[in-house]
Amino acid sequence: MSESLRWNVEDLVEMAVNGQVSQPTMRPNGYLPWPDGRAAVLPGMSGIAYNARVGDRAFGWAGDHVEPGVSIAHADEKSDFALHYLTCIGNEAEVTTGLARGAKGIVTGEHARLLVDFAPEVLEDMTIGDTVQIRARGRGIRLAGFPELEFKKTSPELARAYNLRAENGQIICPVAMELPARIMGSGAELNAEYVDQDLMSGDRALMADLGIDRMRLGDLIAIRNVDHRFGRSFREGWIAICLCIHGDSVMTGHGPGILTLITGPAERLGFSVEPGANIAQTLNIRSAA
Amino acid sequence: MTAPVATNAADLVAVSVAGHIVHPGFPGLPAEPYRLASDGTAFLLPTYGGIVYNVSVGDRAFGWAADCIHPGVSIRQAEDTRNRGLNVYACVGNRAKVMTGQAAGTAGVVTGKSGRFSEQVIVHFPKAARAKMAVGDQIVIRSEGIGMALTDHPAVMLKGIGPNLLDALPCRKDGGRIDFGVVATIPAHLVGAGLGLTSEGGSLHLQSTDRGELARHGLDALRLGDIVALADTDSRYNHGYLRGARALGVICTTDGPRAGFGPGIAILMTSPAGELGSFDAPGTNIAGLLSLEP
Repeated sequence: MSESLRWNVEDLVEMAVNGQVSQPTMRPNGYLPWPDGRAAVLPGMSGIAYNARVGDRAFGWAGDHVEPGVSIAHADEKSDFALHYLTCIGNEAEVTTGLARGAKGIVTGEHARLLVDFAPEVLEDMTIGDTVQIRARGRGIRLAGFPELEFKKTSPELARAYNLRAENGQIICPVAMELPARIMGSGAELNAEYVDQDLMSGDRALMADLGIDRMRLGDLIAIRNVDHRFGRSFREGWIAICLCIHGDSVMTGHGPGILTLITGPAERLGFSVEPGANIAQTLNIRSAA
Repeated sequence: MTAPVATNAADLVAVSVAGHIVHPGFPGLPAEPYRLASDGTAFLLPTYGGIVYNVSVGDRAFGWAADCIHPGVSIRQAEDTRNRGLNVYACVGNRAKVMTGQAAGTAGVVTGKSGRFSEQVIVHFPKAARAKMAVGDQIVIRSEGIGMALTDHPAVMLKGIGPNLLDALPCRKDGGRIDFGVVATIPAHLVGAGLGLTSEGGSLHLQSTDRGELARHGLDALRLGDIVALADTDSRYNHGYLRGARALGVICTTDGPRAGFGPGIAILMTSPAGELGSFDAPGTNIAGLLSLEP
């Protein structure tokens, strides 16, 4: 973070929210359809993912919507939405019940559940139903001199980890790759404060041509000509900087989950594609892969 | 300057009320998560409930990126009548104690309450203890103060104030009138949310939309825990306007962007016709009066 950037960190309120480690669920008919109608049964959502972690690949798993780390939710609806709306990426989490009580983790994503990274040895001591409490901080964060930019789910730690730089009145954010607006899919129906929007990976040849299939969980992602302030829609001249939070999907209209972090007009917000723009590294969750 | 105030404190009954640390809440889909600021813009900011790690009584009431935050820890009961019992019985200044979890045994102090839509009791605990607490931990309060009266000033009604806080307030007597020291006086036209609602428990908010007006009345630098007066405000049975009436309270929540919802005030006492007065006493704050541990 360059010296010239000033954040209102001293005005942010830090408060507790919690959730319980979720149990994977299946509907009576548990099949997921591929685009051609072929049925699949695949794991990925909820629970403790022992071997899929932020920094790992987003494509190629024998899974669907793979949520890295530990997925937590709150049983009470209002409390669950507070967990969703107040938690920011990079916030500190702590296990408060069970064998792993006291273990610390880091929030790495938000899907229908909050996704928290813990060291692999901690996962061995965790079970479904354990409570994980998060010190939520970052809602309301602003960058001085750039009122046009809106930051969502940005903890002060993530604000530093962006490695933003100001160039000619524009904020430049390093990202791992750029996605075209036309492949942004499921999630267009949601408000932009809630979870993510899947990129649509159904055109497999396009994924390979553009190198999108090399995306990693935790990558920073840029999209041109979308406005993610109060929903996620096409608007020429606007930019969104996002985060890859879950893995690919077989279903039409779905794919890796892309969560909004920064949005603003292109004359004030830009990006540069740089290797290493992944929160597993920049938040020091894992050493460089 | 503080003179002893005669009360019936020896006759008060001390009784337990308990609550659990509240989880913050937001409405589920398809509701929007936003609230509206007084200028119509949408905002999504932390609001009441939960464990607040970095805002304490004694801190500024204005300027946080938040909507009516409760400093310290907020508790309630899930069931409505029990929660009313907690909200009414708990008095500012009462002792609290953590009964479950990793911070069990830690002592705290009741510093305020919130009203309609949240109805929580606000409790101060040292910051180091907050780091050990978990949402859902049980807090018990030694409730003492309901039924308390000023022996020589029967027209002054006490509301949710503990005997220890009453004893600590700067006080003067002027004939039949009793005056207490305050940081500022809020004119009736800046009293907001809470008007018309119960004055047993809950809170009454200062309005903060007109920042210039706040500055003109010396209200723009209020701190959490400051003792304030509300002019022409009768808080005996609900809160409302009455010329000559007066209420005194303590700033117990931060400011917020919504119309009508500036800093929240837990009302401590009131009188209808000039029997209660106030005088300027800068720095009169319960953080000092109750020796709250940081």
